[in-house]
Amino acid sequence: MAWSRKSAMFGSLAIALYLLGLTLRNHQLVTVAVVLLSFLTWAALRASHADVAASGRRMEERGEEEAGVSLSRLSAMRKLSSARVFEDGEVDVTLRVQNHSPLSKVLEVRDSLPEVMRIKKGANYILMELGPRRETLIEYTVECPLRGFYTIGPVCIRIQDSFGLFHKEKEMHVYDDFLVFPKTEDLKDAFVKSKVPKIFTGAVNIRQPGPGSEFYNLREYIAGDPMKAINWAAYARAGKLMVNERERDAVSDIILILDSRAVSETGPVSRNSLVYGTRAAASLASFFLSRRDSVGLVVYGDEVLSVDRDTGKKQLYVILTKLAGAMARGETPLQVVTNRILPHINKGSPIIILSCLEDDSTIVNAVRDLRSRDFDTTVLSPSSLEFEFDARRLDRTGYEVLKTERDILISELRGLGAFVMDWEPDMLLATALSGARGF
Amino acid sequence: MAMKGVSSETSHLYDGKVVRAAAPSRKKLAAKMTSTHELPDDAIPEVHIPTFVESLFGGPLVPKMKFLPADKMVQTLQMLSGAVMIMLGVLTWIVTPVSGTVWFAAADLIGAEFLGLGVHLLILLVGLGCGFWGIFSRDSRFLLASYVLFILISLRFASSKVTFEWVEFDDGLIQKVMLVAYAVLLVMYMELTNGVVRFSMLDTSIRTGEVYVMNVKKVLNKYHISLVVTPLIAAGVAAITLMFKDIIADFVGLFSEISATRLDESVELESVYGVALGTMIVFLIVAVVFAANVPGRIQKIRENAD
Repeated sequence: MAWSRKSAMFGSLAIALYLLGLTLRNHQLVTVAVVLLSFLTWAALRASHADVAASGRRMEERGEEEAGVSLSRLSAMRKLSSARVFEDGEVDVTLRVQNHSPLSKVLEVRDSLPEVMRIKKGANYILMELGPRRETLIEYTVECPLRGFYTIGPVCIRIQDSFGLFHKEKEMHVYDDFLVFPKTEDLKDAFVKSKVPKIFTGAVNIRQPGPGSEFYNLREYIAGDPMKAINWAAYARAGKLMVNERERDAVSDIILILDSRAVSETGPVSRNSLVYGTRAAASLASFFLSRRDSVGLVVYGDEVLSVDRDTGKKQLYVILTKLAGAMARGETPLQVVTNRILPHINKGSPIIILSCLEDDSTIVNAVRDLRSRDFDTTVLSPSSLEFEFDARRLDRTGYEVLKTERDILISELRGLGAFVMDWEPDMLLATALSGARGF
Repeated sequence: MAMKGVSSETSHLYDGKVVRAAAPSRKKLAAKMTSTHELPDDAIPEVHIPTFVESLFGGPLVPKMKFLPADKMVQTLQMLSGAVMIMLGVLTWIVTPVSGTVWFAAADLIGAEFLGLGVHLLILLVGLGCGFWGIFSRDSRFLLASYVLFILISLRFASSKVTFEWVEFDDGLIQKVMLVAYAVLLVMYMELTNGVVRFSMLDTSIRTGEVYVMNVKKVLNKYHISLVVTPLIAAGVAAITLMFKDIIADFVGLFSEISATRLDESVELESVYGVALGTMIVFLIVAVVFAANVPGRIQKIRENAD
């Protein structure tokens, strides 16, 4: 049984008045003290929960009985409308609270939500009278503005006397996990394709003759060419057999490298390099996988986590899950990442690095290594300077100095042949990508 | 390189066209900013630093929530609190004579007794004023001041005598009933005014969508029932403790007439220490009830009754 501040105030006032009454030999004060004490005692009796601490049992011996007799016959179940949503998506939560007791109860029920969640409809905090052997449904909708792994729960239930003097609380360990994926942007073209295609056909034309659907050119018939490839109109014009050659469709290996070092979270919670990086990585993965490319992901922060290259929708969810769980931690340099992954990537594969390019002295060397091995390297760099400046956490002089340093670094990377884009906060990903590739 | 005679001006090529390769540059924005080094107001989050008193009590002494206009339930409680306060004011005036108070002693010392009476009346009136303001503006600070003043006025050296200077009651029972009524009204005044603030907070939370209340009527009914039952119980217990001397004398009288008479005429039992003894015995019984976990056991039986 827990005392509220009100009951503590009443209790101390009663004792003080009682002692004063005895000292001043004042019936009036003693009577007030007795009434106050009676008031408290009756409320405690009505709350009717013996004190756990007074039972002399240890914490680990606490059973359901000690959690409060009146709370022991309550149960809760929760149902979520979806276990996976994208950022800014909504989850409908239905909480079922059951009273198995033959007595009605006045309950305060609070379903614990992660701090970043916003309640869009309904309420997760309910005060109710729950009749004997009745159940009730509490429905509310939460909006999920930020990616991550989230847990709803526990359900906190409080029962208290009518005057709010004493209360008993219980946490029902009902938990439901759900995943918020970074939101994706629709891309029409990423301007990225492999110079060295894989043998499998795909949706990307690579300006080489081969199996595909797009017309490439005409050439003379060679024995063995399929008859259906003969261009009869050209034959009529040229007087010799001509065949249509098609542009080769192929798949590429795309490697996305996401910087999730501690520095990448510089800026406001919802507007920082990591948030933009994860959204970009999700959009790019979605785009490349939809055109049947093979996409791999490397996330580096305090350790290097990677998702092997693969294709298909399943791979998209694997990547999205990894992105949802990316935490800003550690300070692993990019060179460590490139040294580790380079032996495992096909030469010439496009590599897209999503990094704020801060606090890493190995960036230039790492990009130089990639370029020297002829990897098509694109760097999309959400600038934490812009986030900080927008949030007015950076003064103009500081901003200009840091911006100049950043521009120099970007120029150096461009000098190595990498496509680099200084990604400003309001810029769409498609614009940033086309800007990086010089379109 | 511009050719001789040919203008290098190309702006006409963009006339009527929206050319935008990227979002507006932050550089331009940066250049437009003033060179002041002062931090903007919204860059510093609002942090409430607890005062010394707040840190002692673990939070603000009075709620700082702004309430929405009072609903019917709150208005009813306000009216009830106002009525109880007026009754309390009248009873306080009756049961609390000025003699024995510090201000009366001070006034007596300078030979101006009426001044003591004036201060006494002033404390009561200020207490009532603070109470009224606190109740109807729902300001806990004034309510707190009102509680303090109502208690302050009763701080007097009484020499174990129940004396009502303004109204004479010869019957001891009526005096005790008046005392109990005064004490119950004081506690109910505290509870009702607290209820005004509590239900205002709840009502505001409901209307702002922070809390949802199911079966409001049933929740309020329980509070109303408690408002009637609890003072009756408290009054009963207080009456028992105040009349402990009579009760114990009657009880002993079953066994010995002489002992009963002695107890009945005992000065000690009549004094405030007799009341203290009665209180001790009553609350010893209560302590035994709690130690034996009787309420818990009763609750368990009720919960398991199928």
